[in-house]
Amino acid sequence: MKKSSIIGIVIIAIAIGVIISTYADSSTYGSFAEAKVSKTDLHIVGQLNKQKELVYNPQVDANYFAFYMRDKKGTECRVVFSGSKPQDFERSEEIVLTGKMVGDEFHASKILMKCPSKYNKDKVEVQAVPATASLNR
Amino acid sequence: MEIQFAGEHLLPGKLGQFFIILSFGTALLSAVSYYFATIKDTRDDSWKRIARFSTRLNLAAVVGVGVCLFYIIYNHLFEYHYAWAHSSRSLPVYYIVSCFWEGQEGSFWLWMFWQGVLANILIRKAKSWENSVMTIVMLSQVFLGSMLLGVEILGSRIGSSPFILLRNAVEGPIFSRPDYLTMIQDGNGLNPLLQNYWMVIHPPTLFLGFASMIVPFAYAIAGLWEKRYKEWPSTALPWALFAVMILGGGVIMGSFWAYEALNFGGFWAWDPVENASIIPWLTLIAAVHVILAYKSSGHSYFTATFLVLISFVLVLYASFLTRSGILGETSVHAFTDLGMFGQLVIYLVFFTLLAVVLLAVRWKELPITQKDEETYSREFWLFIGALILTVSCIQVIATTSIPVFNAAFGTKVAPPTDVIQHYNKWQVPFAVVVALISGFSQFLKYRNTDARRFYKALGVSILAAAVVTAGFVLLTGVYTNLMYIVLTFAAIFSIVCNAQILAEALKGKWKLAGSSVAHIGFALLLAGALVAAAKNKVVSVNSSGVIPVADFAKADKPGDNLMLYQNEPVRMEGFTITYLSDTTIGPNTFYKINYKQQEAGTGKIKEEFNLYPNAQQNPKMGLVASPDTKHYFTYDIYTHITAAPQLAQPGPEAMSHGDAGDEGHAADENYDKPSVHEVSAGDTVPISNGYILVKGMNRSATIAKIPLAKGDVAVALQLEVVSGGKSYPAEPLFLIKGGNKFDFAKVLENPALKLRFSNIYPQKNKLELMVYERPPAPKKWVVMKAIRFPYINLFWGGTIIMVAGLLLSIFRRSKEIKTV
Repeated sequence: MKKSSIIGIVIIAIAIGVIISTYADSSTYGSFAEAKVSKTDLHIVGQLNKQKELVYNPQVDANYFAFYMRDKKGTECRVVFSGSKPQDFERSEEIVLTGKMVGDEFHASKILMKCPSKYNKDKVEVQAVPATASLNR
Repeated sequence: MEIQFAGEHLLPGKLGQFFIILSFGTALLSAVSYYFATIKDTRDDSWKRIARFSTRLNLAAVVGVGVCLFYIIYNHLFEYHYAWAHSSRSLPVYYIVSCFWEGQEGSFWLWMFWQGVLANILIRKAKSWENSVMTIVMLSQVFLGSMLLGVEILGSRIGSSPFILLRNAVEGPIFSRPDYLTMIQDGNGLNPLLQNYWMVIHPPTLFLGFASMIVPFAYAIAGLWEKRYKEWPSTALPWALFAVMILGGGVIMGSFWAYEALNFGGFWAWDPVENASIIPWLTLIAAVHVILAYKSSGHSYFTATFLVLISFVLVLYASFLTRSGILGETSVHAFTDLGMFGQLVIYLVFFTLLAVVLLAVRWKELPITQKDEETYSREFWLFIGALILTVSCIQVIATTSIPVFNAAFGTKVAPPTDVIQHYNKWQVPFAVVVALISGFSQFLKYRNTDARRFYKALGVSILAAAVVTAGFVLLTGVYTNLMYIVLTFAAIFSIVCNAQILAEALKGKWKLAGSSVAHIGFALLLAGALVAAAKNKVVSVNSSGVIPVADFAKADKPGDNLMLYQNEPVRMEGFTITYLSDTTIGPNTFYKINYKQQEAGTGKIKEEFNLYPNAQQNPKMGLVASPDTKHYFTYDIYTHITAAPQLAQPGPEAMSHGDAGDEGHAADENYDKPSVHEVSAGDTVPISNGYILVKGMNRSATIAKIPLAKGDVAVALQLEVVSGGKSYPAEPLFLIKGGNKFDFAKVLENPALKLRFSNIYPQKNKLELMVYERPPAPKKWVVMKAIRFPYINLFWGGTIIMVAGLLLSIFRRSKEIKTV
């Protein structure tokens, strides 16, 4: 057999190993209900409950941020993140959390949010301005 | 009935749209003409002349599109969606260029522009390759041109035009009013994170890199098409090196921008968008090496062709990933879908099929050798190195593409929870192997090498590298992890080996310098990335000052964010840091953070500097922070603000939010309940931080603008306020005018006092003084995070050296071609 064929086989084996590892390392999207059962970290997609309070008091603890999120199944849970409040958090449309359940709270190690303001800005902000302002244009 | 809208400037948009159509049409004409020029064996070169003319016109049209778009953004013509969505009036002029590439349309334009420039260079340089190569380049230009068209054909919209009007792009009741423009005062503005000088230069570099990937691809396709199998690799080599240099530089510039302007606290995060840009880079750098192997030995022909072809296909795949919105849940940086999902897929599939079909048709004729490479030959190890790079690329693609698999197969797999650890686990071993091969293959000759001499040279280098590694590992402290030591050794070994080649190059074999310089640069980059990533340390560890509150479950690890009150020094990791003050310049607030390093015994100040991290209280995006970094030769101290109190801002936004700090109206209510005192000269009245001394009365006081008639009395109470060791004079006034009593209070800012001389009791010979005290303003604070990055300069320096080495190689390889 040619040497390069042997190498080719080895390389393909490594590539398969890589792909298997990707899926071994990969996590799942779940809900808060599943997180209660699961022991490992998982991702939860949901929405911030804007009615309930966001707790971030840097004067008390600069590394404690808590809020309530509703997952896609509608379950609501208190989420705790040990870090500062991400920028523009209140405006987030959708949140992807990574972490696990500790007691009745979900402890997030990572928060990823999608904000409407950044890349998708199709909301016109209208300001009532007296007609004279049009002269400035 | 058509509404006549007032105040719109429709000409620049119409002109721009005309240029878009023109650029699409000329690209198509040029591609078709070049195609016929290639396949028709005509004597006159009429097809070629048409093709050249339309290629030049195409570039002119693309520039025209850019000029129109710039005019619209520069003049704040918010009737256009693009200007409204990506700029605002307050934006400094030099960032207007950044608005161009905040949107997808602008970044497509940038790509088209560079591709057009390269096409015009190829007209001059390609010589006998012009017809076939340019057919492919202009075909790609057709696809890019279609992305900007924004016209409806058969009910589906093709492309997205940057010249679409706001009233057509967005629905809203105001657009039924003819004067709707008067109600839109300002645009949405540029994302503050893009308001950075690196954002002016990083995207053009990156897109030049992407655009230049078409050239080696076009040469490969042309070589297969015209059956010039053996010629194309050497001709494409300088172009491939150019693409590697520019794209590599562009990617690292992006990494530098992330480090300097973003606050994710690092220079590389394995974010899908970052990955998308290095995927094609990895395969193209592999391609460059196997092209060299093929040139010198005739081996690896198929690998070279395949890698060149796949590199451009991966550029298209990367564009698909970042622009189709498919990364939605895994990356914050990706664009959202503009309705071009299908178009991007067609672009990708078309060029993939072109390559696959051509390879299949020509397969039997390809000059593939059946001989086996010698183990002690350079071509063999170039081939192995290229394969390792390819596997490393496959790993990045596999994980980055998880959302694509989900979309294709309806699965719901989430990316790894610890992404960085996942990538490093694979990429560090790959980097080790690549660095080792780039070292020892320097001692190998093409075809065959004397094994004894090879092992001798190798032994010496290993020994030298081992000694240097030991020193370096101790110095940087990366000895905690075996893999770190191995990678450090591999990088240093590569430097040692290539330095020997460089030494020979300096003796006169100049030709060799390029590759050895590039390899040294790459090895330095690896070592720098390793140390900075492995040993960076959060120095703002919040170990004290946490007050346990019932509701606050204590986090397991001490947090990374540190609370700083103004003028209250905090010690961390050998530094004493103090938040001194803040200044607001334009939209940004700069926080002055003082760092002091003291000698352990004496307390003498060894080192002192100020950092000015800034935060923008963006009305649309909340707090947007940019870090500031103190650069030392061997490490950086990086600081950024993670939280700050809302500032009271002048201007309509802050007012309408009704923030508590709004001084104007609320000032009166901020005072505590007044204390009333009946005093006479010589008395003292205590206040919270001192006292007020009543000195006497000024009976002949006058009040500006109020003339005193007969019988009117104006009296001033002469007071001295002593607070905090300083004294301040104050004279509140009392007035009887026309039988009515008035008083004019005296307001002091510091100490915050309002003093009223409110009455006179002549019987008691007493004067009434009312003292209003304002409680001291809450202490100013910021929450910040500081990270120490050791040896990060190796990373940046390595990049610069690598780019320089690639540049030398381009010169060498382009001199070697003798194209006819």
